Amino acid sequence: MAFERLEGFLTQNTVLERGLVIAPVIVAANTLNNALALGISFTVITLLTLLIASFVPKHLSYTIRVILYVITACIIFIPTAKVMNHLFTESIFKVGIFLPLLVTNSLIVTKSETRFLRKPRLMMLLDVFCHVIGFFMVIVLVGVIREILGNGTLMGNAINMPIHFAVLMLPFGGFITVGFLSALLQRIHLYLQQPVKQKKRHWATEIKEGEK
Amino acid sequence: MDLLLGFASDMFFYGIVAIFLENTVLSRALGASTTLWMIRKKYNIFLFGLIMTVITTISAIIAYFITPWLENEKNAYYLKPLIYVCVIAVVYVIMILVTNHSNIKHKDTILIFIHRCSFNCAVLGALLLSAQAKLSLGGYIGFGIGTGIGFTFATFLIEVAYERLNSPKIPKAFRGFPITLFYIGILSLAVYGMIGHELPF
Repeated sequence: MAFERLEGFLTQNTVLERGLVIAPVIVAANTLNNALALGISFTVITLLTLLIASFVPKHLSYTIRVILYVITACIIFIPTAKVMNHLFTESIFKVGIFLPLLVTNSLIVTKSETRFLRKPRLMMLLDVFCHVIGFFMVIVLVGVIREILGNGTLMGNAINMPIHFAVLMLPFGGFITVGFLSALLQRIHLYLQQPVKQKKRHWATEIKEGEK
Repeated sequence: MDLLLGFASDMFFYGIVAIFLENTVLSRALGASTTLWMIRKKYNIFLFGLIMTVITTISAIIAYFITPWLENEKNAYYLKPLIYVCVIAVVYVIMILVTNHSNIKHKDTILIFIHRCSFNCAVLGALLLSAQAKLSLGGYIGFGIGTGIGFTFATFLIEVAYERLNSPKIPKAFRGFPITLFYIGILSLAVYGMIGHELPF
């Protein structure tokens, strides 16, 4: 049960398992700096928006509630983007429209109503936290892999790489990198499920033998 | 006459750009999660595409008249999402009200699509890109229509391959979502080549 509450980290990962909020990861996270700028902004915007959203009265119609969530995200975006502009000036220019687009991310627009806001506030915050941290880990990992293999650098510093594949810096590279990471997660799932199935079979045969 | 011709040519040119060269799903992955959601649920992609085209185009027309005022603001970059989201929200509410008060077929499905489509990255992305490129009115409308058609085109390309991408012939670890990402990646590389780029090996 305790593990289920933390499923947003890995087993229900926003990007690799659900395929949500994949645009910034695939297109803009091609360096570690870009990934950090987007990851931190996503964390702040999503966490604060959903916290405020939990105070929106439930008797309002769905249409009004969703509009309020997105407008809240836009208001939180203003100070967040200003801070990011100071911390990652070059990256903010490079990620372009992907930073403002975080205000309409799927966790705020769809998952808020179908998952998060159906839970008590503290449980919801823990669940949202797990989801955003899961996203943050993936975007940083993708940024690191693509910058090292695609550009031969890390945070702009040259790494002594014998060869680099510049194609990884394109959206194609993002799709392939996220695809491989998702396959790896799926493989881990299959591996974890195997012993449980074997145990079930073992118990089933024992019960049958007992009945005989 | 020249004004009308310029308007029509801008609309056509930016429409083609949005469908093929700047395809919302294939070149920017905007709306990719919605694409996968629709294919998994086996919804009518053409109806969804039509609703997205209408929402994007109407929002783009309103955004065109607001953007010059917004550009004069010192904090335009920070305010744009808020203003554009308000524009989309107005269009969203109007579309919900019109659909609720009409007797059209598949009303419930259309309402689900309007909810899902309005605050989609592809719609807000189209407005932000049009403003960034400082397009004319024809350009805004063309880019709006092209975004909707381009989204439908990309979704159709993914849908026709989806059954095969889930077949037992694909290794279990890659089946479904991972192999679909590879497929979209290859399509995006084809679009990248179509623009005239060469691979940076």
